[in-house]
Amino acid sequence: MSMPPVEEEVLYAESFKITGGNFAHGGDVAARIKSILKEFGVRTDVIRRLSIANFEAEMNVIMYADEADLELKVTPTAVRVTLADRGQGIPDIALAMQEGYSTATAAMRERGFGAGLGLPNIKRNADSFDIESTPGVGTTLRYTVAIG
Amino acid sequence: MTSNDHALTSDPAKCIGCVDCTRACPTGAIRVRDGHAVVNYDLCTDCGFCIHVCQSDAMRARTTSLSDLKKFKYTVAMPSLTLYAQFGHEVLPDQILHALTKIGFDDYCDISWMCEMVAVASEAYLAECRGPWPKISSTCPAIVRLLRVRYPELLPHLIPIETPRELAAKLTRRRLAQQRGLAPEEIGIFFITPCTAIMNSIERPVGLSESYLDGAFSIQEVYGPLLKALKDVPSSVRVDGGISARGLGWAQAGGEINSMRNSNTLTVRGVQDITRVFDRIESGKFQSVDFIEAYSCYEGCVSGQLAVESRAAAQRTIQNLSRRLRSATPVKEERIRSLMASRFFTLEGEITAREVKPLALDLRGAIKLRSDRAALRAKVPGKNCAACGAPNCDMLVEDVLHGEAKIEDCPFIEIERLRSQLGNSQGRERRGRTDPPAPACGKRATMLKGGAQ
Repeated sequence: MSMPPVEEEVLYAESFKITGGNFAHGGDVAARIKSILKEFGVRTDVIRRLSIANFEAEMNVIMYADEADLELKVTPTAVRVTLADRGQGIPDIALAMQEGYSTATAAMRERGFGAGLGLPNIKRNADSFDIESTPGVGTTLRYTVAIG
Repeated sequence: MTSNDHALTSDPAKCIGCVDCTRACPTGAIRVRDGHAVVNYDLCTDCGFCIHVCQSDAMRARTTSLSDLKKFKYTVAMPSLTLYAQFGHEVLPDQILHALTKIGFDDYCDISWMCEMVAVASEAYLAECRGPWPKISSTCPAIVRLLRVRYPELLPHLIPIETPRELAAKLTRRRLAQQRGLAPEEIGIFFITPCTAIMNSIERPVGLSESYLDGAFSIQEVYGPLLKALKDVPSSVRVDGGISARGLGWAQAGGEINSMRNSNTLTVRGVQDITRVFDRIESGKFQSVDFIEAYSCYEGCVSGQLAVESRAAAQRTIQNLSRRLRSATPVKEERIRSLMASRFFTLEGEITAREVKPLALDLRGAIKLRSDRAALRAKVPGKNCAACGAPNCDMLVEDVLHGEAKIEDCPFIEIERLRSQLGNSQGRERRGRTDPPAPACGKRATMLKGGAQ
């Protein structure tokens, strides 16, 4: 009989809604999470890495998806983020994970996005990273940054 | 730290306990307690906004006293470039510098040339620097203090180059000691400042064990005597070497980056915009920018709260003077190169964070604190009236958490409490008159019954 994986105690959880196309508030959720973690006294380099990942993930939703729920969990050892969006999904994840690959439109590029660094940047700043996507349904990202 | 040794003080005899300064403070450092403004110097960045908004003249900048001049054999006035913008563009900086020697100083020292040299040194630094990007100017001491208090993780972004005023004082003292055969400590160099932040940076320097300046007078203090003295200074007088056109622009926001050849730069002005940009830098943004010039005052030094001329008029004067000077410069490239080789411009010490003690020491404590905070925030009305003495409802909540205020300090909560007290007693009276008192044991009996089930 296999033991179920030990669930780590969740000290704090909060969820946030992100709306696609809402450029005016782009980065707000990342900023709110940053201030929460600051309040918790989380180490600044941890906050910085997580903020970069959150900002990229949030902007991905704003640019490509309809809406998303971001679930923040703080455990004694890590900050865990699950971001599930409803939208077009990613047909070829391996391609999307390549640096420099982007499907951004000219208008998005004008806003300074679309360098093709979003997903790779999240992965680079996280300690664990996982992505699942169903074209036409949506994408779910799970990433963590260890508190240490 | 007592208020006596700080550049900013509130005079309790004049303070009427209004909340203008409390609300104006960008770091939430002021509270009204027992009818008077009290400054928390751990949070104060010396930006001087409180002086600007105080209508009772109670918030004052403490500057050097005139008697301090007597401690020195030879005194030098070093005006902020903003002083050149106080008398209209018909009055040249050369005249103003000469006039300073007629109001009690033995000598003067212009800093426009040093601003130009620092611009060149900054360019050279940026060309070789390897990050973290963007670099942030260290010119405005209120910004340096804001970084130390609120953005300690951004301190490595500060450009490690000393300010023109300190560097000019360092060189001038060296030169005068040689030329006049004086001991360096016999020379007193005094800054003529447009703001409280510079005043405090002289008394409590950062990145430097001791300031090269000996004190500061406000532009307001010297304005009257200077205006009189200027009448006897002919417009034909010139200072040795002349004024640097490139350096003069530093008087206003944008001047520092305009004096640099690197165009991958940005100017941010006003604490509100600055916090927005600093927040983004913390999240890893703006890395493609090389250099950010940030001023706590909206238009840079010309809008300092200790200046006399309005900032619009002062800006016009600086622009006109710059046009008149065109590309004039007393600065020689070889001189900058030799000074750079000796690391003259480099900050002598490290700029360290000012730790603000956290309320909770561990993660669990902090998370509990967040729920306490949320509970308190649900109680306050969110009207941000500041009548409690804190600038807004959230700050009152913080004060309560810190044990420095009570939630009842909120007049809305207090009125509600009194009203419900009054309502209860009125209700009791009414019931007493019309209804027979409810059997006190009735409810209790039900409860007991419920409890027994």
